[in-house]
Amino acid sequence: MSNTTAPEPILAGRMTVTRRWQTGLILVGIALLVVGAITLLNDVAPKDYIGIAIWFLGALVIHDGIASFVIFGVIVVMRRASRKIPLAVIAIIQGALAIGAIFFVIVVPAILKKDIGSANTSILPLDYGLNLVSFYAGLAVVTAAAIAAYLVLARRQNARPSSSQN
Amino acid sequence: MLLKWQIQRLLHQTQHSLASPSRNPRATVVIGRLLGIAFLICFATGTYSHFIQEPLPGMVFLTRPIWLYQVSQGIHITAGIICFPLLFAKLYTVFPGLFQSPPVRSFPHFLERASIALFVASSLVQITIGLLNTYQWYALFPFAFRQTHYALSFVIIGSLAIHIAVKLPIISRYWLKRDAVTADGEIAGHEVVDDPAAPDELQRLTGKRQYAGVTGRIFQWIDSSPAPRPQTSRRGFFATVAVASAALVTLTAGQSFRVFDATNLFGARKNDVGPQGLPVNRTAKRAKVLETATSADWRLTVSNGESTKVFSYDDLRAMTQYEVVLPIACVEGWSQYATWQGPRLKDLIAAVGAEPSSTVRLTSLEQDSSYAQTTMQPEFVRDDLTLIALDLEGEPLDIDHGYPARAIAPARPGVLQTKWLSTLEVMS
Repeated sequence: MSNTTAPEPILAGRMTVTRRWQTGLILVGIALLVVGAITLLNDVAPKDYIGIAIWFLGALVIHDGIASFVIFGVIVVMRRASRKIPLAVIAIIQGALAIGAIFFVIVVPAILKKDIGSANTSILPLDYGLNLVSFYAGLAVVTAAAIAAYLVLARRQNARPSSSQN
Repeated sequence: MLLKWQIQRLLHQTQHSLASPSRNPRATVVIGRLLGIAFLICFATGTYSHFIQEPLPGMVFLTRPIWLYQVSQGIHITAGIICFPLLFAKLYTVFPGLFQSPPVRSFPHFLERASIALFVASSLVQITIGLLNTYQWYALFPFAFRQTHYALSFVIIGSLAIHIAVKLPIISRYWLKRDAVTADGEIAGHEVVDDPAAPDELQRLTGKRQYAGVTGRIFQWIDSSPAPRPQTSRRGFFATVAVASAALVTLTAGQSFRVFDATNLFGARKNDVGPQGLPVNRTAKRAKVLETATSADWRLTVSNGESTKVFSYDDLRAMTQYEVVLPIACVEGWSQYATWQGPRLKDLIAAVGAEPSSTVRLTSLEQDSSYAQTTMQPEFVRDDLTLIALDLEGEPLDIDHGYPARAIAPARPGVLQTKWLSTLEVMS
């Protein structure tokens, strides 16, 4: 009897603590949103609001409408490929593709801006295009090495007699 | 009505196809924690940078350690860059939620999804404009960057607090690994959408089977693929996030921290690149000071109420010269140490009878800049390391570095180290 009744006050106590934290966080959140809204109204010119709204809309369209479907496609292709290729190899390739995509997002704007021109030569001074190609080459080598290492280890593990045979 | 059930079936099948062991509440909590920390670091360092540029009355700032602003802003930019893989990873772990069906269950559910949309959009916009600002790609912004970036920081942290509040039961449930992962490596209490046949309202109404039609066959094709092994998938996911974050730090942080200079392949700036081996933000040409700064008539006027003294370049050189090693640390995150020589600011204002603990307004010759006039608080003015620099690395300042005279003070943003000085006014 005591086993079934004892946890209830503890659970109720936890819920109360959680509820208090939730209330506090929501109040802090609302206060910060109000500060953000006031700052936006006070410091940002009204003519800029449309531009900000376009950026917000663009971010959602790119994320929800484009990137998510591209990633969905990649996931499906990779999952299908896993019928013939070991799952760990697929995971390594997926990881390499994700890292490559993240660097693409960060470095390509630098390449484009440098191509357009900078205010002075100390801004974007590096050869970002060449560096990105070099990085991708390094990533490909590391990925291939990781796959090779996995396959060798997997083969050795398969070749090893199981403990039940010893 | 059928369209509704068709959409519901499509969303459900999509959600089912995206089910993966790496997308689970524990992964969301682990990545969310890191992203939350990165956001808070950006918020704290960004707020510090904001207030040191626009102090509220009574605010006093530390002048030591001399690298305080350099490190603070370097961390701001580096943490902002790391937010890319962390935010993408966080969105990846909750990816199937994008296709939940029905999309909206109730008004509170609508509010929750709307607040998440605001949070996601503001986060993506914030880190993107932050990155593009380091590339000085202002033409892409149909708004004022600094003010928008500052206002959005409150929106993001406010949305983050509300998001944490809403998800708190899940966060606390999966906070610790021992509570979240069972002995056999499964995520406790997490059920993957493993039934592609549900919901079957469309089938009940029309008799049309789940795998009928083009989309049905596509999903059947997907579903016939083997499901990934939980531990392989999870380890692969976390390894990818860790490698991406570590690689980004290694290959970009050299713009802020000399220790990474050798591996700086993608930073927006590079140490030792620029006039006199130091990067520049605004050139003399852009500031339209090429003539005024090099004129033989150039004078530095120092005033304190009715008392005014005019210094020629030679007068400044005739004063006691000091040498300091201080970083020039830009709000865009890049920084570099340099050796500066010149008279102390407090010696100059002493010549017009002002106390060292005075507030000084510095005016530049530059045109069309909101930083042509800056204010230096007493803690910086009285500091022994604060100079009106005439030399950089043993040579007269390059014109792009502020020739004939510029301010240099410890732990202060580069944008306030006013170049091409024309007047110093003691304000209090």
